[in-house]
Order: sequence, then structure tokens, then C-alpha cells
Amino acid sequence: MSHGYKAVGWNRQKRLYDGVLAAGVATYLLLFCGGMLLTRDTATLETALIRDLGTCALLLLHVVLVVGPLARLDRRFLPLLYNRRHLGVTTFLLGLAHGTFALVQYHAGGNRPWLVSLLSANPRLGSFSQFPFELLGVLALLILFLMAATSHDFWLANLGAPVWKALHMAVYLAYALLIAHVALGVLQAETHPALAGALVAGASTVVGLHLLAGWRERAGDRPAEARLPSSSEADGGFLEVCRLGEIPEKRARIVTVGGERVAVFRYDGKVSAVSNVCRHQNGPLGEGRIVGGCITCPWHGYQYLPETGSSPPPFAEKVPTYRVRLEGDRVLVHPFAHPPGTRQEPACSDMATLATAPPASIES
Amino acid sequence: MDISTAQALVLGLGLYTGLGVLVALPFVLRGAGRVDPGAERAPWSFRLLILPGAVALWPLVARWWLRARRREGP
Repeated sequence: MSHGYKAVGWNRQKRLYDGVLAAGVATYLLLFCGGMLLTRDTATLETALIRDLGTCALLLLHVVLVVGPLARLDRRFLPLLYNRRHLGVTTFLLGLAHGTFALVQYHAGGNRPWLVSLLSANPRLGSFSQFPFELLGVLALLILFLMAATSHDFWLANLGAPVWKALHMAVYLAYALLIAHVALGVLQAETHPALAGALVAGASTVVGLHLLAGWRERAGDRPAEARLPSSSEADGGFLEVCRLGEIPEKRARIVTVGGERVAVFRYDGKVSAVSNVCRHQNGPLGEGRIVGGCITCPWHGYQYLPETGSSPPPFAEKVPTYRVRLEGDRVLVHPFAHPPGTRQEPACSDMATLATAPPASIES
Repeated sequence: MDISTAQALVLGLGLYTGLGVLVALPFVLRGAGRVDPGAERAPWSFRLLILPGAVALWPLVARWWLRARRREGP
């Protein structure tokens, strides 16, 4: 959290995550390069390294892109999301190594400066099959650089969450450019259908998982009034959002009121509601838990007090809060979002009612 | 792309990066702490980590720094 920056806030999970990542990348690089040199008589070490690094970067970019929707579809994938920025930075570094090797291999021997040679070697901008695919790779690498360079929380805090998020959405443009880079580059020379099939399968997986996660999320976005038609009548402005028994202890139910996703938490005989959007990277707070009295974001562990929506001191993050009321086992939330950090008295629940409530799962 | 366009692009990129280094170095050493109190006593490893971003976004960080200096007064 944003009090006194460090380069990396190392902990056991991050070390483990990075250890597995480094081991996975090293294993892939060794196997691919070794396999290519052993099975192809014409392959040189330089070509093998260029393809090795490029395919590893592209594979890792697929992982970066599918981790988000996978975690939304199945909570067991949440640990992969925890340190996704290191996945992204590793992807950029692998891409940079791929580009540097290719630049030296194919453009260092001429009489023009390397970069000028790279940009001007193939002038067929009007052709589709012979388009200078290198330019697509350069553009993708520039985007990945910008994302890696601004991945630290310092940039998130100072650019502001909406700008930072918009900047990092450019990863999808980089991905499209890389798919075109591969399709118009190496696949023009390597015509084995398995390679084209792998590229199509990868892109289909990325698109399919995003569509599926979006569809699931949209299904949960039905407003409180629509979900419970019997209580559509406004009750002093409050809207019934669910039954108390539908919220597991120290967890939340995510509901939509006033067009916004709200996380309604139940803890220690109390109920509080805050915005579902974490200030850090827009993580879904309602998919987190109450840990040590604080709502804890499932993505990176940012914490907020449920009554105030404020991070515990010395941290300064705040999320909007909502008024909550209980009538029997009916949970009612007022759709007006109070400014971030505004204290709201939690609704106190009747423990006897809770004891008889049936168990329920979290809606995500 | 013809050679003269490629040369102009590379020259432009070089100039932008050169200016970026000139702005980013003092920014990560002094300016970042003025812009964001969380960076005031941050370790050198943090400063090194934000350096590439400061080079890339130098017009923006220069604006942040000027604004922070105006806020603080002379």
C-alpha cells in the first residue's frame, strides 16, 4: 500500500511466485533451444535463441491475459493474479531480448544505423502477406515497455487509477500486434499447420475466456430491484439486496445498486457495504474476505475498514461507503454512494436469526 | 518506410529519450519525493525502478514537479 515506497514489497508468496516463474521460463528456454538445435540440421544458435525468446514472451503474454478471467471464473486461480505485474515485466524483458537478438542478427552488418535499417529494410507497407512484420513487433514492444515501466504503485498513485488502467488496457493492442507479427512473420516461412493452429488456439482461448467471464459477470449485474421483484418498492430510499443468510461470515455478497457494484460484508454480527472496486487496481473487494477486522482485496491484499472504507493507518486508500439496514433477515442498502472514507454505522444483526440461516455461497 | 522517414523517426526518438534522461535523473533523485511524499525517503532501488517510466513520460513528470514546486512556494 502506498505509504513509503519500496522497489518490491517482498514476502514469502512473492518469492515463491517469482521462483516458479523463473524456473518455468528457464526450463522453457532450455527445452525449446535444445530441441530446435537437436532436431533441425539447418538451425543456428542465433536463430534458435531468437525464436526461443519470442515464443516464450508470447506464451507468457497469453498467461498474463488469461489469468484475470480465469480468476473471475474460478477462485482457485486467484494466487496467479497476485503478482501478475512480474509476469508482465518478464514478458517485456523476454520480448526485448528477442528484439535485440533479431536486430543484431539481421541489421548489424549493414552500412546503415541498426534501427534505421530495421525500419527501412522492407518498404512494402501496402502489401498484406509481405508487410514489414518487424514494425508490428517494435510497436508491441514499445507498448509492453510503457506498461512495464509504469507498473510500480508510484505510477498508479500519481497517474490516477483511471489513466493507469486505461494505459495498461493497451496490453490488448500489444497482443493483437504480436499475433499479426507472428502471422505475417515466422508463419510465412514455417508453414506447418500445427504452428498456425497453436496461434489460433491461443487467441481463441484468450478471447473465449474474456467473453465467458464477462458474460458471467453481466449475469450477476442484475440490479437489486430486478433480482427481488417483491421488494422493488423503495423503502425510504433503501433497496433490498439479499437475505442475511446468503452472506457467509467474514465474506461478502456483491450486488448492483444505483448502477454500481457494491460489496455487502457480514462480520462479527454486523453488516457493512462498500464499493466493490479496490483503489489499487480495481480488484473486486467483494470477492475478498475480512482478515484481522479489515476487508482484504483478493488481488493484492489491500485492506479497508468495513465501517469507514478507509485503509488502516498509516495507509491512505479510501473507497466509497453505503448505508445498510437490516429488517429481520432482509438486507437493505441505500443506493447513494457516500464519499470515499465516510463512516457508516454497520447494521447489527440478530444472532438468533443468523444461527438458523441456511448456508450460502458467494456471488461473484 | 523510406530511409529519410526512418532516419527522422530514429532521430526524434533519440532526442526524446535524451531529454527524458536529462529530466528523469534529477526527478527520481529529488522531484519524486516532492511530487509524492511516499517517495521522499524511498530507497535507491525504488528510484532505479521508476527511472525508465520517468524517461518515457518526462513531459508529464516535469509538469508534476513544476506544479509541486509552485505549491511549495519559493
